Amino acid sequence: MGKSSRRDFLKIAVVGAAGAAGLPLRARAAGKTVTFLHETSFIQTFDDYMQNTLVPAYKKATGVEVVYELTSVGTSPTRVSTIIETGSGADIAIIFLLYPFLFADKLMDVSDIAEEVGKESGGWYPSAREAAVVDGKWKAIPHSNIGQLMNWRTDWFAEVGVKKFPETWEELYEVGKKLKAKDHPFGFELGHGFGDNHGWLYPLLWSYGGHEVEADGKTVVIDSDETAKAIDFARKFFKDCMFDDVLGWTDVSNNKAWMAEQISCTNNAESILWFAKRNFPDIGKVTDQAQNPAGPKGRFHLLQCQSHAIFDFSPVKAEAHAFLRWLMEEKQLGGWYASADSYYQPFLHAYDNAPMWQVEPRNIPYRDAMTSAHMPGWPAPPNRQLAESVAKYVIVDMFAKACTGTSTKDAIKTAETQLKNIYKAA
Amino acid sequence: MVTGHGRVARLVQVWLPVGFFLVLALFPFYWMAITSIKPDSELYNRHLMPLLVHNPTLKHYVDLLTQTHFLVWTWNTMLVAVVSTAISLVLGTMLAYPLARMRFAGAGLIAIGVAAIYLVPQPLLFLPLADVINRLDLNNTLTAVILTYPTMLVPFCAWLLLGYFKTVPKELEEAARIDGASRLQTMRQIFLPLCTPGFISAGIFAFTLSQNEFLYALIFLTKSSVRTVPVGVIAELIRGDVFYWGQLMAAALLGSIPVALIYSFFVEHYVAGLTSGAVKG
Amino acid sequence: MSIRTESLITVARPRRRAISLALWLDREAVFSWMMMALPLIFLAALVGYPLVYGVLLSLEHRSVGKPATFIGLENFITDFHDPIFWRVAVNTFVYTIAATLLKMVGGLALALAMNQHFRMKNLIRALLLLPFIVPTVLSTVAWMWMLDPAFSVVNRLLIAVGATPPGPSWLGNPVLAMFSIIMINTWRGLPFYGITLLAGLQTVSPELYEAATIDGASGWQRFRFVTLPLLKPIILIVTLFSVIFTFADFQLVYVLTHGGPQNATQLFATYAFDIGMGAGQLGLGASVALMMLPALALLIVALTLYMRRA
Repeated sequence: MGKSSRRDFLKIAVVGAAGAAGLPLRARAAGKTVTFLHETSFIQTFDDYMQNTLVPAYKKATGVEVVYELTSVGTSPTRVSTIIETGSGADIAIIFLLYPFLFADKLMDVSDIAEEVGKESGGWYPSAREAAVVDGKWKAIPHSNIGQLMNWRTDWFAEVGVKKFPETWEELYEVGKKLKAKDHPFGFELGHGFGDNHGWLYPLLWSYGGHEVEADGKTVVIDSDETAKAIDFARKFFKDCMFDDVLGWTDVSNNKAWMAEQISCTNNAESILWFAKRNFPDIGKVTDQAQNPAGPKGRFHLLQCQSHAIFDFSPVKAEAHAFLRWLMEEKQLGGWYASADSYYQPFLHAYDNAPMWQVEPRNIPYRDAMTSAHMPGWPAPPNRQLAESVAKYVIVDMFAKACTGTSTKDAIKTAETQLKNIYKAA
Repeated sequence: MVTGHGRVARLVQVWLPVGFFLVLALFPFYWMAITSIKPDSELYNRHLMPLLVHNPTLKHYVDLLTQTHFLVWTWNTMLVAVVSTAISLVLGTMLAYPLARMRFAGAGLIAIGVAAIYLVPQPLLFLPLADVINRLDLNNTLTAVILTYPTMLVPFCAWLLLGYFKTVPKELEEAARIDGASRLQTMRQIFLPLCTPGFISAGIFAFTLSQNEFLYALIFLTKSSVRTVPVGVIAELIRGDVFYWGQLMAAALLGSIPVALIYSFFVEHYVAGLTSGAVKG
Repeated sequence: MSIRTESLITVARPRRRAISLALWLDREAVFSWMMMALPLIFLAALVGYPLVYGVLLSLEHRSVGKPATFIGLENFITDFHDPIFWRVAVNTFVYTIAATLLKMVGGLALALAMNQHFRMKNLIRALLLLPFIVPTVLSTVAWMWMLDPAFSVVNRLLIAVGATPPGPSWLGNPVLAMFSIIMINTWRGLPFYGITLLAGLQTVSPELYEAATIDGASGWQRFRFVTLPLLKPIILIVTLFSVIFTFADFQLVYVLTHGGPQNATQLFATYAFDIGMGAGQLGLGASVALMMLPALALLIVALTLYMRRA
């Protein structure tokens, strides 16, 4: 056995042993690979479209292999945190809510993509900037909004003489009282979920004029008459229209309650209608969606923006940049949106009248709500203190405590103490 | 323990208490089983008695087995659990034996140290561990979890075995030592075979904890093909705020009942009164 | 059972240098440290290092992805001023103490019940372990349904005997929510307690019971003076670990209530996770997680001292 063949044998043995031990091999294909981390979409066809249509198309066009890696819903913050901390794991990732701000330092400046795409596709909704611009730079490209709007039972509302969804909170309250008496109460989450609680409580607060902090992002202004009014409304809304269990609800609870025909109105993303149409068509027929009601200071919605960001430390960030630019072209992006039944609301005006809205017109309120959607903590731009306040459920618990017997004054005081503690470093 | 006489005494002494615990332990499994064969229309119906099913269906099981990677996850989970358990029992014994039988400087400190290390909760450990796993380039491999699971299993195994080891009478080992055996030989040939109940107990615990682990698997295993059951099931059967309840319950049952049956065979193999027999004879 | 001492002696007759090496290895201290080396190295690398890292983290202001700034004990001061933190502390203690007591008493009862001879004992023993075997996230999902007043069998019963519909809100009422998680944790952990104690019971030599009976001891006395003392080490160890596990419990609360309603079920682990992962405040999260240590450390020391005396 010659020297070279012995060496080859050794190589094979090592490789074989490594493979058996599960250690990954360092071999990379000749072309570049861009790892695109995403959360499993609620809509299967959306992921399929990327995997089966877009990825191969890009490979064909540029030779770059995009690895579309899916992580389960709710786990991407953890995954992305680990990637940020350890400096590897993916090249582009979906990030949302407050993460562009928390991770801004490690994200590539993609203002060039944003400017170009904005020009191409009819301009961005202002809320897009709110969600992705940090210190004047775009740190992520907004992809879609996951709206949180009102879901209501048209048949039961009709029973009490209501054909159109109420315009104001007070009107909704009156309807709720009547429906609770008929054993069709409302069910709005007051527990520790994530979307369905913030989805109505922040808009409620804003619609009465209350705010967590001033626009400077430092001064805590939760203690105000406006906040008190919002809380007093919430208390009577809970007592007269809902039932105790909502205090312990997490995001899945209202979906369950809807399919069990327990509630007649709630705040949710499009998942209730989507699921009902497929699994409980009779319920689906009488489910409709509407914008949040307005308060004395206006109508508001919660902004839950999903964006794509490129990690500044990625070894293939130029390729990732090119891919993202390509993805945002109308041909690709439009197709991708359409594959998801208008579940994702685009932030570009070019898609305002896309055919996908006609597929399920009941989703149109989600599109219209984008003009009045804001990040929690509005009017202050998001910062790390806001992330802490949201993670600690300060606003949610303030309302929940008031609903369970704490006086408005005390509920506000507690929230104020917490917020002052959190924002003191700001 | 001396048992009572007569059928009534037997009923009261044995079947009443055992039955009580059985009902308490298994009632939720009855619920899971019923849910797993209920069609959605019945499941969400508040007016039906939840403990009965009128039109059972195997759809959830079929969907679970055909539309998800459940079988792959199960295989991964079992593999990881077996290897992690083996590692933990070995390392645990290596820690526990000296602490149980030997006197040496630092024994107390080690004992406390090991327990203290165990106090460190997973949410604190996972970031630095993620760093380690990353540097070793073990992401998305089962090796990552096989390596990290013993961190939570070894201290427990060590302490549990320590407790057992202390209850084993020393006479046999002393006899062997007098006869000239080295400590290693005494440990391996005399002592360890006597501790089978302890190993089985610790092994069952380690195995169960292993297959139940969630956080590390969540961080290190993001590709479906390498996932374990807890993570895989959560990833694919919970999409946003929609839970696929029937399939979740099917997964719960398929994930646990076979393991329980395996335990029942395993457990047959240890013989009570081993120690007393040795002392007598 | 006989020991083949002759064969042992044969094996134990090595050559001169090997004799001194073997003798050296046989010294208590040497043998012990050699034996413990591998596990200790393993633990030092994979637990010790992260622990030190975690302690350092708690002394820093550290947002995810940003460099760290040393701030000393400021995180802990923030925690002391945080009303939720104190609620979390109380919750965790109440949860741990209540669940552990229930598991200990219940486990002992189960072990005694199972320490008898009857048919299908092995199958039953395995079935009793099911709550412990089933992955926590999945059984918790089942409990979500069982505790939903609209679907709960218990609520139906209560309504049938006169309670106002829809009956108690097991997860919406703060007190009931804590009660619920204690119950679920007990349900999950009691079988393990029981089976472990059972194994301990079975290493107790029947001769001791026979001797006690001959001396005229009743069942209860046998239990108190023979069983209990012999079981003490195992009870203590299982309790120790049960306490640690329960104190650091995460999955159950995370899935069921996520700390709600209004932090009534928020525990150290879930709170630390929310702060660390949800808010990206790794230093602050680490400080909350570390606050578990003082209380538990005291407990460990106390139990260890007790054990060393016994």
